[in-house]
Amino acid sequence: MTRGDFKDMKTTIDNDSHLLKEVSKKLISTLRAHKVREDIIFDIHVGFEEALRNAMIHGNKQDPGKKVVVETDIIENAVVISVEDEGEGFDPKKLPDPTLDENILKEGGRGVYLINHLMDEVKYENGGRRVVMIKYFNKNANK
Amino acid sequence: MQINLEKKGEVSVFKVTGDIDIESAPQVKKTFDKAITSASKQVVINLQEVSYVDSSGLATLVEILKNMRSHGGKLKLANLSAKVKGLFEITKLDKLFDIAQSEEEAINSF
Repeated sequence: MTRGDFKDMKTTIDNDSHLLKEVSKKLISTLRAHKVREDIIFDIHVGFEEALRNAMIHGNKQDPGKKVVVETDIIENAVVISVEDEGEGFDPKKLPDPTLDENILKEGGRGVYLINHLMDEVKYENGGRRVVMIKYFNKNANK
Repeated sequence: MQINLEKKGEVSVFKVTGDIDIESAPQVKKTFDKAITSASKQVVINLQEVSYVDSSGLATLVEILKNMRSHGGKLKLANLSAKVKGLFEITKLDKLFDIAQSEEEAINSF
């Protein structure tokens, strides 16, 4: 694969949830330009926005002085997305399972769960401050 | 995002148009909180024109369901796209909500 096969984007954004949609729209429009299937784009759309939301609200705790770094690489058959905040980090293994009976009626707690189920590979790095997600274009979407 | 209410016999049918996500969720919750107290005890939310829901949207629908139940009402969802229904299945919310294939099926199932 040559460097020309990549579509790279690295951007540092203010911790403003209003920017979330703007960044997400840019990625979706790039994926559409690459003729990625709409069912795959749906999964990426949800996964990416959940990661951004977690970074801004839970990671950076809505602090307007903090930043979120987003990197996306579109390669031949996949997109690699990294979202990193400046918060204290977290251990994703310690999050409660939102599908259990005792949690199902709770308002929150589904963001990371959706990321883990909609994306094909998910890694948490830097103490949970950075999530790296991969979605393949030629696999079946989740539904 | 737009919500229209139509009465069909004893059933109140809310048709939502647009995304139910982090941006629209507060408005959706506010609209339903107001409407549910004055609507009938049988409510259908038609999601045919909703192509995107995120975890904020799911959380809002859970809140609406809890609110309906606390008012002694029954809530059914109808016309979910395959992808939106997939989110309910992943999060097991399909076990919590009554989900009908069509608005008619939802209305007739009360």
